[in-house]
Amino acid sequence: MAVFDTPQEAFGILRPVCVQLTKSQTVENVEHLQAQLQAVSDAALQELQQYILFPLRFTLKTPGPKRERLVQSVVECLTFVLSSTCVKELELLQELFSELSACLYSPNSQKPAAVSEELKLAVIQGLNTLMHSAYGDIILAFYEPSILPRLGFAVSLLLGLAEQEKSKQIKIAALKCLQVLLFQCDCQDHPRSLDELEQQQLGDLFASFLPGISTALTRVITGDFKQGHSIVVCSLRVFYKTVGFVMADEQLRRISKVRAKPAVEHRIAELMVHREGEWVKNTGDKLVILIKKIIECILVHPHWKVRLELVDLVEDLLLKCSQSLVDSAGPLLKALVGLVNDESPEVQVQCNNVLRHFADQKVVVGNRAFTDILSESLHSLATSLPRLMNSQDDQGKFSTLSLLLGYLKLLGPKINFVFNSVAHLQRLSKALIQVLELDVTDIKIVEERSWNSDDLSASPEGPTTRRGNQVQRRYFRFFTDERVFLLLRQVCRLLGYYGNLYLLVDHFMELYQESVVYRKQAAMILNELVVGAAGLEVEDLHEKHIKTSLEELREIVTSLLEVYTSQENWYLVTCIETEEREELMMKQSDLQAITSGVHTCQIVSFPAFSKPSPTICSMNSNIWQVCIQLEGISRFAYALGKDFRLLLMSALYPVLEKAGDQTLLISQVATSTMVGICVACDYDSLQDLINQNSDYLVNGISLSLRHLSLHPHTSKVLEVMLRNSDATLLPLVADVVQDVLATLDQFYNTRAASFVSVLHALLVALAQWFPETSYTGQPQDQNLKEEGSYLHQTLENNTTAEDIEQFVLGYLKEKDVAEGNVLEFDSDEEELSVPPKLDENDTLPDAEPPLPVQIQIAKDVMERCIHLLSDKNLKIRLKVLDVLGLCVVVLQSHKNQLLPLVHRAWPSLVHRLTNDDPLAVLRAFKVLCTLGGKCGDFLRNRFCKDVLPKLAGSLVTQAPISARAGPVYSHTLAFKLQLAVLQGLGPLSESLELGEGDLNKVADACLIYLSTKQPVKLQEAARRY
Amino acid sequence: MRLLRPLPTSRRRRGALSPRSGSQRPACGPLFLGNAWTSALPVKPRRPVPNCGSWVLPRLFAVLGIELRTLHLPGDCTLPSMAVPLSPPPPDPQFVLRGTQSAVNALHFCGGAQAQGFPLLFSGSQSGVVHIWSLQTRRAVATLDGHGGQSVTWLQMLPQSPQLLSQGRDLRLCLWDLAEGRNAVVDSVCLESVGFCRSSVLAEGQARWMLAVPGKGTDEVQILEMPSKTSVCTLKPEADAKPGMPMCLRLWQAESSSRPFLLAGYEDGSVALWDVWERKVCSRVSCHEEPVMGLDFDSQRARGVSGSAGKALAVWSLDGQQTLQVCSTHQLTNPGISDVTIRPDRKILATAGWDHRIRVFHWRTMKPLAVLAFHSASVHCVAFATDGVLAAGSKDQRISVWSLYQRT
Repeated sequence: MAVFDTPQEAFGILRPVCVQLTKSQTVENVEHLQAQLQAVSDAALQELQQYILFPLRFTLKTPGPKRERLVQSVVECLTFVLSSTCVKELELLQELFSELSACLYSPNSQKPAAVSEELKLAVIQGLNTLMHSAYGDIILAFYEPSILPRLGFAVSLLLGLAEQEKSKQIKIAALKCLQVLLFQCDCQDHPRSLDELEQQQLGDLFASFLPGISTALTRVITGDFKQGHSIVVCSLRVFYKTVGFVMADEQLRRISKVRAKPAVEHRIAELMVHREGEWVKNTGDKLVILIKKIIECILVHPHWKVRLELVDLVEDLLLKCSQSLVDSAGPLLKALVGLVNDESPEVQVQCNNVLRHFADQKVVVGNRAFTDILSESLHSLATSLPRLMNSQDDQGKFSTLSLLLGYLKLLGPKINFVFNSVAHLQRLSKALIQVLELDVTDIKIVEERSWNSDDLSASPEGPTTRRGNQVQRRYFRFFTDERVFLLLRQVCRLLGYYGNLYLLVDHFMELYQESVVYRKQAAMILNELVVGAAGLEVEDLHEKHIKTSLEELREIVTSLLEVYTSQENWYLVTCIETEEREELMMKQSDLQAITSGVHTCQIVSFPAFSKPSPTICSMNSNIWQVCIQLEGISRFAYALGKDFRLLLMSALYPVLEKAGDQTLLISQVATSTMVGICVACDYDSLQDLINQNSDYLVNGISLSLRHLSLHPHTSKVLEVMLRNSDATLLPLVADVVQDVLATLDQFYNTRAASFVSVLHALLVALAQWFPETSYTGQPQDQNLKEEGSYLHQTLENNTTAEDIEQFVLGYLKEKDVAEGNVLEFDSDEEELSVPPKLDENDTLPDAEPPLPVQIQIAKDVMERCIHLLSDKNLKIRLKVLDVLGLCVVVLQSHKNQLLPLVHRAWPSLVHRLTNDDPLAVLRAFKVLCTLGGKCGDFLRNRFCKDVLPKLAGSLVTQAPISARAGPVYSHTLAFKLQLAVLQGLGPLSESLELGEGDLNKVADACLIYLSTKQPVKLQEAARRY
Repeated sequence: MRLLRPLPTSRRRRGALSPRSGSQRPACGPLFLGNAWTSALPVKPRRPVPNCGSWVLPRLFAVLGIELRTLHLPGDCTLPSMAVPLSPPPPDPQFVLRGTQSAVNALHFCGGAQAQGFPLLFSGSQSGVVHIWSLQTRRAVATLDGHGGQSVTWLQMLPQSPQLLSQGRDLRLCLWDLAEGRNAVVDSVCLESVGFCRSSVLAEGQARWMLAVPGKGTDEVQILEMPSKTSVCTLKPEADAKPGMPMCLRLWQAESSSRPFLLAGYEDGSVALWDVWERKVCSRVSCHEEPVMGLDFDSQRARGVSGSAGKALAVWSLDGQQTLQVCSTHQLTNPGISDVTIRPDRKILATAGWDHRIRVFHWRTMKPLAVLAFHSASVHCVAFATDGVLAAGSKDQRISVWSLYQRT
């Protein structure tokens, strides 16, 4: 706190000290003075300024060598005085300035005098304080041409310090001081802003130093990264402040062509620069080189603050000097754009702010030159993109693409104009297509099969939980980093957002059609274009941009969908031809039934892979093609939202078709596409989606059934649909079932297999939708259903030990389940014992009511089954037996329909039971058990006559074999058959109410199995009987 | 798939086929043409354009000078695609409307201003319900139930007003107001004939229109002036003519005069031209052996066509003296035509066949152009929209919509 407030008091204190100092110039005296000064108030000090300064200046001016320590303390004291007072006289300012700068002057060298660092620092601080303490008017007067030599000395001195000094502190101080000296200080002490004329005068003055300052600073900036970021930051700031001031468009615009006669002596006039057009151009040219150097160096600078400063540099220069530095605009924009995706969030934010600012100010859009520069840069970048993508590492690729993205962002709505040039559009599209090339050598994708075709219904969880986690990564030829792909996606979306969608879609569609090589990439790009056009997930810098209208977007999506799902683009070869595979399956089918119930997903190695066409690569490529198109459909849905519902009539069927595809990847992607559609169109679940649009699906199915050879997958769609819908669908299903049956009638020979599985799905659905009240308590039914649904999913190669082991494990598990079910069903039976159908019959005794639709369907299906029972193909026979069992279940309450059909089916069933493959016998026996439960009386005689002797006989003949057999026997088919027969005969003879004689026969046959020599399980089964 | 082999009609008509014969049965598939028409096969049928379902008939294009729709054709031949089948698939309907739950007896398109951009299709079913279908969503948007469960046989939109006429076998002809989402009966006319004869309307102006309905006597036709429902006259054939019941009616008016005429097809296979004002038959021509089931008339060319229960399609013309003359008859493979309609642009006509097929002819030359096979029961009615879309309703409860070509 100041003790001496009045000048008089202060003078009293200070006078002796000053006198002392004048007399003997020692460090102690100076320090003494400074100590006294602390106690003097600012106002008093201002009054006594000249007086106090005198001994100090006297000390400095004393000729002869001086001790550095003394000089330093004098300068420090001087600085202290100046910091608390202000300089009001021009002369004093000039003199102090010269005296201070002279402290570091060494007469014999260019370099600053070799003095201690403390002194240097003190002098720099002193200069800094001096400039700050100068009175507003004085300082302007100070900057007149005549000061030029002295100012020049100071500037070069400071530059030298900044460049060559070791101490970081000095360097920074020097740079700060330089900034002050060049009137670019950013502290608060300069309230008055300069008017135009003053600015111009200063500009003229500083123009002389521009070359020196800029080159020296460039050297500092591009120096070693290790020198510390703050130095580079300061240098950058001084650089752009100076350049921005001297080269400001605003000033240059007013410079007259003719040089005004300077009112100074000739020597100084020579130093002056006239900033006319020629000079600006030359300087601009030279600055480009420096700016390029700086940008190149700073872009890779490890410290984010440096990069942040670069953003400011770009902003400042582009805003102030867009015309004078027009040549530098390219590199500057490039730097800015490149920094948009900087790893540091601060830089990103600042960059985006600047970009937004530019967009608001229409710096780019409103400036033709900039647009041209940008489109030129874009063009050259697009040209070199493929090469860069080939040679750079992922980080490099990332920044290259960031650059591309940034250009597009900056161009914004101007993209349209750029792409009106065919050359630009082609360059960029070709580049994108090359970059997005997929790697299609992965065999796994072709190999993986989805046997588990009912996972759609098996997953009750909501669509969100299933999203994304299962989608296969795609492998690109040119990059592996996921971020690169995201960037590319963003690029495409931006294009769609700003560009003329019609033009772009048309162009990429052409590429899509042009060659199969481009097709996948073009489809990927098209997908993103549409999303972008809808304005989704696009960063919009240009607020007032008008988006593509929804109407147009819908039109475009419609036509894209049409192309995607057209025959030649949708039905690509993604696996070995179906017929071949079916042959293969036939060969392996004998094993399949054994393992029914065991849920395996085995990869089948196709011998046909060695075939020359189609190659694995082309199949892989086709798979990706389909996946991308599927993904596209989901993107379209996303883009259109609820409006996509209208397009479901054409889109849903193909997607569902692919959901049933054998290639795992395709079915996964198709499923996630459906989930995407669900979300976009606001359906609750996949079931909801399918249910609500089943009319569209049925339409597709019935039309495709007409061209079965072209649409071999139709039946799968129906299967998927049946699995995912409920009884409300029945009228529609009834309609399409008629078509199915009619088609089946035409293709008994060739395509029965796929139809039988549809029929199976149908009957399973019917049995679920219309559960009969008198549902049987036999475990076989449950078994039958389960096995049936697994039947077509499991496929085995050959009998290996593992298979058998797996089978047994599965079997045991299943058996437990089955036994558990027995209990459940027993209790159910008691509760629901009254069949309601009887009541209806009572009330309408005369008129025969029309059959319920499901009964009619089951009846029709059962009729077909009767014929198919004798199909040549074992696999079909097995499936048909399953379907037959289900038919019986559905028809059980309509005996009038059921019994005639059973009568017709009987001979052929008996044939299966007696003269067929053991597998078929097994299955037929299960059907028999079901039948026994449903229409016991009707079958009793037939059973006793046709089947029982044979069964009992085979049991008897097998008994010695099984008695002798070792433990491996329990893994054989014969064992399984024995077991099933033994287990089934009991309930069967009960439900058939067999006569005593027949019962005896059965009992005799079973008795043998009670022998201890028999396998334990057989014993158990027999005992239970 | 053996395509061009026709089936004996008896078997085809049986409907539900016994599956026992299934495996031996020749695969009939949807036929292009009956054997009598083989020479008129389209020169080079092409694959259907996916998704738009429009089946383009090159011959038709040649005849009519209509431009092909631009299609996305595969650009690269090397792409691995499915083996292209040797025989081109038969044409498909653009889409099929399901859900009437009973046989479809009547169809009528409503386009233009009343439908706000997207045309609507009305269908009248056996169960007495009129469905209104949106051709945009391909779903029923509303149902009109006003005939007490009795079959709806005829539907007609009144020109320039959102009112629909529906004729039912409950002896009522209802006038529905459909403006602004309403669907209420605003008026009804009691009919006195329970037959299958469809009525006919002739609009004379905004507020006045003439209606021809089957009359009280079995062979009478009654002309009413609407909306006042006053009977203008009853057209009764001379006592000695005995043409039987009227089967189909068509009121028309020459462009030059305001004199209304009525064309009526009768049970005995004859077509008569009535002058409504003078209440007399101008001319009568006997063109079918069997009852006339449907007729349509092109008043510009003064030519009409009629189909009957028999195997022939007759084309007749009207000369300046108002005399009907048979121009030609066309033999069909299978007997029974339940409806004949000329497209509004008078270039082609379509017939609804009892043999489940829709046949398309060139109207000027009567060249057969196509047989559209889709339905699994007799086709009851065909209708054209103003933009050329064809709809056919069938006993199999479906309505198939065909886009033979989109008019340019």
